[in-house]
Amino acid sequence: LDEDALLPAPQNISILSTNMKHFLTWSPVIVQEETVRYSVEFQGEYEREYANESWIPTSECSLITGTVCNITEDISATVAYNLRVRADVGARRSEWGTLKGVFNRITTSLTPPLMKVIADGYHLLVELEDMGPAFQLRILYWKKGQERKVQQKVVKEVRSVVHLDTMEAGADHCVTAQTYVDAINRSSSFSQTQCVRAQGDKSM
Amino acid sequence: SGELYCSLLNPRHVRFESINMKNVLHWSAPEGTGNGVLYKVKYSVYGVGKWIRKPECRNINRTWCDLSSETSDYEEQYYASVKAFLNGMVSDWVETTRFNPLTDTKIEPPMLSISSTERSITIILTAPEKWKRSPEEESISLLQVYPGLHYNVSVLNKKTKKRWFFSISNHTLVVPWLEPGTAYCVSAQIRVTTPLLDSGFSKEHCIATLKDK
Amino acid sequence: TAGNKILHFGACRVSMSMTEIRAGFTAIKANIQARDPIRTLSILSSPRSLHKVKSSDRCCITHHLLNFYMDKVFKHCKTEDSYVNRKISSIANSFLSMRRKLGQCHEQNQCMCGQESTEKFKEILANYEGMNVTSAAMKSLGELDILLDWME
Repeated sequence: LDEDALLPAPQNISILSTNMKHFLTWSPVIVQEETVRYSVEFQGEYEREYANESWIPTSECSLITGTVCNITEDISATVAYNLRVRADVGARRSEWGTLKGVFNRITTSLTPPLMKVIADGYHLLVELEDMGPAFQLRILYWKKGQERKVQQKVVKEVRSVVHLDTMEAGADHCVTAQTYVDAINRSSSFSQTQCVRAQGDKSM
Repeated sequence: SGELYCSLLNPRHVRFESINMKNVLHWSAPEGTGNGVLYKVKYSVYGVGKWIRKPECRNINRTWCDLSSETSDYEEQYYASVKAFLNGMVSDWVETTRFNPLTDTKIEPPMLSISSTERSITIILTAPEKWKRSPEEESISLLQVYPGLHYNVSVLNKKTKKRWFFSISNHTLVVPWLEPGTAYCVSAQIRVTTPLLDSGFSKEHCIATLKDK
Repeated sequence: TAGNKILHFGACRVSMSMTEIRAGFTAIKANIQARDPIRTLSILSSPRSLHKVKSSDRCCITHHLLNFYMDKVFKHCKTEDSYVNRKISSIANSFLSMRRKLGQCHEQNQCMCGQESTEKFKEILANYEGMNVTSAAMKSLGELDILLDWME
């Protein structure tokens, strides 16, 4: 069994979390001419406080060969999680390498939504990126020059082209949007403002 | 010890099929049996002690039984069970899984009523009603059952082939500033966020804006 | 489908992410309920439905029930199925997060316990203690939709 202890635990374990997609990464354990496999486990606050600090195997990363694990499905509550990963080569197994500190999805980085503003006749529309069920989109729109009369629309299910409003003939209208995740009660910054012009000329 | 009677294979796929809380028990005949099989049905309210027979579904040869009346209280949950008979042979009672009318029903799409002027169309949406025992009984809209209910409306410009989506909570949508003499096709869906339920999109209703005078 | 709900318990207002809990439960509902053969008893609904609880007592009952699930239910529901175990962990951690939010109301004395909620919770505990722990815990977990339907 001593030989097992020689297999080093994975190092440089870290989390990459953007827009509520969470990934655990680590440095590869190098063993000449051998395929090293990795397994990841997680432990929520509930497990620490109520279930004898038990660990739970992740849904996607048991004996994988890569050094990235998608833990999005496992991090499904807004509490602090511990994460750990170990290496296996044949019958040899390393100790667990544990993420320094805890991970709470409330720290995910939120990017502004990709959007394309469209003028279709007198109609102001926006084409939005579907970022998944956790996201709502808060859209602000106004007539150029009337920045104090901003209107808002919250979109819960992203469809391809969302109708915002009708526009005055020949007038410019501007739009910006941010994402909002109610599970963590946080929003992204606003996207770059985009302006379009309604058909017709202003005298109409 | 020998069986006192011959046992019949069990009915299969015993389950509730529910649409707008019209809750009908369905099943398939025991494997390999043709006509002539008869059935009887019982049901129970979860947490309450007894099974209750359904007289209208006793010795029936069809493979469904409407239990809407017996399961109309959607604050309760239910089980139902079926037994089969054929030439003196009897099957076991076969049960459904636990049925929760509130979360296990399918919601039909809303009804649409559309009108148009030269430059606008008006869409009036009506959510389906909860099943009721008789036409005289007071109607309950699914809007009352699911307070978080809202509508997704799709409007397709048949000329430009562009489709727009609207998400609304009230039941009327006016789309102004349209092109005269143009055909638009509308379809709508019901969405409930908790519990997560949605109807499919309704059949498309097409209408043309009036021509410019 | 983001489904944060602002739950109103009398004077107490708490934002809860119910959609994730519902999705987690729906994924394992058939599996968990199949492990509960007893049709004649409900932990939460016997003899009286939760729906009969007065609005002013709802916050206190909810607080009691969240503690009940944390202390007496989830830990006794370990199964041989790792998928089910993961979903239970997800629900349990969401309950922990929810209870923390509700705790703020408790601290602000906006979660008063009337006689009705005390009586109702005694009934629930009596139903639970009338069975062996694992069966009672599994039955309680299988009744999570009764709790969620009532909370919403």
